[in-house]
Amino acid sequence: MNAVASPIPVPVQIEVQPGPGLLADVGSGPSLAAHRSRYGVLSTPDLSALLSLIEGAGIRGRGGAAFPFATKLRLSASGRVRPYLVINLSESEPASAKDAALALTRPHLVLDGAAATAAALGAKEAHLALPGKRPEVVTAVRRAVAEREDRVRWVTHVGDARFVAGQSRAVLELLAGRPNKPVTAWDPEAKSGHKGRPTLLSNAETWAQVGRLVLVGAQAYAATGSGGEPGTTLLTLNRTGTVPRVIEVAFGTPWSAALPPAWHGGRYLIGGFHGVWADWTMLDSLRVSANDMRAANLPLGAGAVWALHEDQCPVVATSEVVGYLAAESSGRCGPCLNGLPALAAALHGVRTGAAGPTEVGRLARLVAGRGACAHPDGTVRLVDSLFRTFAAEVHAHTSRVCLVGQREPV
Amino acid sequence: MSRRRVHQLKVDWPNCTGRGVCHGVLPELIDLDPWGYPIITGPVTEELLPLAREAVRMCPQLALRLTSTP
Ligand code: SF4
Ligand code: SF4
Repeated sequence: MNAVASPIPVPVQIEVQPGPGLLADVGSGPSLAAHRSRYGVLSTPDLSALLSLIEGAGIRGRGGAAFPFATKLRLSASGRVRPYLVINLSESEPASAKDAALALTRPHLVLDGAAATAAALGAKEAHLALPGKRPEVVTAVRRAVAEREDRVRWVTHVGDARFVAGQSRAVLELLAGRPNKPVTAWDPEAKSGHKGRPTLLSNAETWAQVGRLVLVGAQAYAATGSGGEPGTTLLTLNRTGTVPRVIEVAFGTPWSAALPPAWHGGRYLIGGFHGVWADWTMLDSLRVSANDMRAANLPLGAGAVWALHEDQCPVVATSEVVGYLAAESSGRCGPCLNGLPALAAALHGVRTGAAGPTEVGRLARLVAGRGACAHPDGTVRLVDSLFRTFAAEVHAHTSRVCLVGQREPV
Repeated sequence: MSRRRVHQLKVDWPNCTGRGVCHGVLPELIDLDPWGYPIITGPVTEELLPLAREAVRMCPQLALRLTSTP
């Protein structure tokens, strides 16, 4: 498979804005000493205390699937053997830089979350999956791990640069020393994961939220956020030609307050390359809330946002993203290997006006749900949302008119 | 063994090489896509259960599974 450049490159530089929770006081640096002087020593609640803390705070996975963390924790604790922990720092989505931001500025919040959970579970090993395409993150995490003195043993692994390298089963393959590609999951990894044992695998931000919750307590944790959703979330704000910005916002913040005013009134890709398109009318009526966004059919995913410039066309952008995603298939599953390039070609036909949308729809239905991982489904979600949200722009393209007036390429 | 058990054929995609032996055994429930990979068209009914088991047995890649949800 030939490499296709990502329409949003993996950042070599990111801007991390101070925030109300995880990113408070980021200027104090990433060292363990600075971390301890801010938060004090890590207490280690037992499993039932930890579960009630996490349930009270309603922490959900921040890697994209938003699965309740307490459910996973309970499942991984219900086996007969000690579970493994996995901290997923792969961040193989180029449009996301929040895990990188945590690694660079707040690595000990991530490690405290895992250390407290390991203590509660009696887990002896915590594995860290690190991003092959972000060497500065690998260095920062290794430096942080070297500062720790925990009972749990930290093991680091550096993954591939591929888009699907961070998928949970691909991460478990990496841990097992096999190619860092997804395989079919017959059971949730919390039941049968690394070496067939229960494995609690979560995204770095999820672990950092758990860490902060244990360190500051339920009350201080819930001091930000809205009643139904305590706490904060990290967002990566992308705008072509500018350095990606990682911000932390309290749940319940209106999008109009989360996004810079100069970006208002535009078109937005919410949730990264497997995400969903929104226009300003949709976004302006919503708050940064995992629940509201899911209800509005605009899931936050891992919190990556791409705000297009006025003269950037969503049809062209989607075609570029799908071309990239097709080339990023791990090539293991026939329908994904064959179907995504066909889908990308059909969408390119719509973009140039060479073809109508029928073929895109047919191929989208053909690849959906037919792979070992959600890569085909995520790609189809993006394409469907383009047709739903920007129907007029799509229709114009089929008659060789770009409503946005974008000159090719993106 | 309640009568409400739903049986479903699932493909282990990375192992499936797509020549469609399964389709030959059970065309009623297994179509082929333009590239020769199986499309499971519905849940396995009681009448088709023996043939579904046969399709699982015949798959040269052991890439087909019969799952059931209570
Ligand atoms: S669905 Fe695609 S990306 Fe996922 S494992 Fe299969 S071939 Fe790889
Ligand atoms: S027989 Fe097995 S390998 Fe062949 S197409 Fe069917 S599932 Fe795939």
